[in-house]
Amino acid sequence: MSLGFWHASRRVFDLSLGEMLWSRRTIFMALVVGGPVLLALIVRALDVFGMTALRVNGRAVGGIGVFGVIMWMLFLRFIVPVLAVFYGTALMADEVEDKTLTYLFTRPIARGAVLVGKYLAYITCTMLVVLPAVMLVYFLVVPLREVPGTFGSLITDLGLLALGLAVYGAVFAFVGAFFKRPLVIGLVFTFGWEPTVMVLPGYLKQFTVAHYLQALVPHAMPSDGITSLLQGFLRDTPSMGVALFWLTVYAVGFLWLATRVVERREYILEQ
Amino acid sequence: MSKKTRYFVLVSGAILTLGLGTGLVASYMGLPVSLLSSAAGPNELQYVPQDAAVVAYANVREVMNSEFRQRFRAMEPPSAERDEFEQKTGLKIDRDIDSVVAAFMPGPDGLAGDNPERSGVVLARGRFQAAQLEVLALQHGGVAEDYKGKRLLTHLERDNSHPMAVGFVESDLVALGGIAAVKRAIDAGADNRNVVSNNEMMRLVAELDSSNAWAVGRFDALANRAKLPSEVQAQLPPLSWFSAAGHVNGGVSGVFKAEALDEASAQNLRDVLRGFLAMAKLQAGSRPGMQQMVDSLQLSGEGKVVAMSFNIPSEFFDALEALAKQKQLNGR
Repeated sequence: MSLGFWHASRRVFDLSLGEMLWSRRTIFMALVVGGPVLLALIVRALDVFGMTALRVNGRAVGGIGVFGVIMWMLFLRFIVPVLAVFYGTALMADEVEDKTLTYLFTRPIARGAVLVGKYLAYITCTMLVVLPAVMLVYFLVVPLREVPGTFGSLITDLGLLALGLAVYGAVFAFVGAFFKRPLVIGLVFTFGWEPTVMVLPGYLKQFTVAHYLQALVPHAMPSDGITSLLQGFLRDTPSMGVALFWLTVYAVGFLWLATRVVERREYILEQ
Repeated sequence: MSKKTRYFVLVSGAILTLGLGTGLVASYMGLPVSLLSSAAGPNELQYVPQDAAVVAYANVREVMNSEFRQRFRAMEPPSAERDEFEQKTGLKIDRDIDSVVAAFMPGPDGLAGDNPERSGVVLARGRFQAAQLEVLALQHGGVAEDYKGKRLLTHLERDNSHPMAVGFVESDLVALGGIAAVKRAIDAGADNRNVVSNNEMMRLVAELDSSNAWAVGRFDALANRAKLPSEVQAQLPPLSWFSAAGHVNGGVSGVFKAEALDEASAQNLRDVLRGFLAMAKLQAGSRPGMQQMVDSLQLSGEGKVVAMSFNIPSEFFDALEALAKQKQLNGR
């Protein structure tokens, strides 16, 4: 008897969540996410000893400013895309590489449900690690007296991270399902295509996720050199509604495309 | 889902829930400042209402014990009024007061003139004879009551206007001012809705924490309070915040900082002050006593910040003292 699509996805999700959480990839994720937490601990220690962690034009940057820099430079620009590349591209590729895809595809479930279940497991797994890390960073870096005035932006940041993981994950799930060397393509997209196109004038930046995520960032973007300076000149920031619309389109569209590919593609496992 | 996966989900969820819960409680109900982090400035700031536009602090103990104060104390004449005040209240200011915080809260329109009993509060930390003060207040027609668990002594003027109050907010801390202002101070401490959550103000306070007397605030609140003519107000530089800090010991040193609304205004102000400094140096050239003081004036600051610092060494006061003694001798 064949299971319904969502019921099947749920079963795959249950199976995959544990596998993902206790895989070697999670050690990599913990190391990547542990970096900002360690940085926040250092900032806190400096604060305790009366030193300033970050100065701009000779003036000390407040806790929420430091948190904004960590959020933008480390989490949104680096950690979210990197995690999405490593997990998203591996959703189907791991099963192909381990030659275990046959076991999943011979079950009486829709092939697309396998991908959707794994995608949901990826989102849950990464959020379970990333969001608590951001929470720790926030409370380490931002003094408690500043919490009432800045808590709203933390909520926005958490939502933004979840959205970023979902959208990048969907894009790389498609890349993983469609291309033969998904990891290379994913890394080229993240560290080649997106940063390059973001500083170029014209409409090409609309074919990036970062362009729309950037529009939702609540903190003033820190100037980190010539790249940010160029972005400042060429910035064509879409409104929040437009950014949310396109991010949703990207997430749903690429996930749908990925399921279509998985449904139709004939995977040949190397013997 | 395996057992260890379930534990992982639970721990992760607990961190998120704890963080979100703490943030929500802090946002909607406030949190004690002492919890998890220490705020800049004295603890009395917990009793300064959130909308305070100017806050000033003086470490009375340090100032009173300073060489500077001792130097002038010897010159003070004996005062019968001071002795009487001491006898009645049991309070000797230079012995019993450790520190003082004063705050000015403008009304909703930025002007406090119509409602002075709401606009200012002074918080003094020290050793007070609460029972003696209460008896004294009742003898003079005052009323003693409890407000949110704190003892409050109130006193009305003869025409029932401007009610004044003294609130015993902690065992060694009293709030003085208009009754409404004192009640607001007690509310600020009880609800944790105080100036400590004003990030801009606290940023300035943190910069001045090592001084034994300082004041920070919004410049517009000062300008409005001064009730300057509109022609004069129009000529004032567009400043947003100001801070002044002094350190009193053998000599006196201090710095006055102002933040302009934009860099151009700050540059204009720096130019004007530079001109004044040059003129003062010219004038002081012919008066050796003033030379040292004018030379200590330093103009600094970058971006929107303009800072003027000074340092009057104890030698300057030695010279002044010698001059005064000489005049006294000549007078005889």
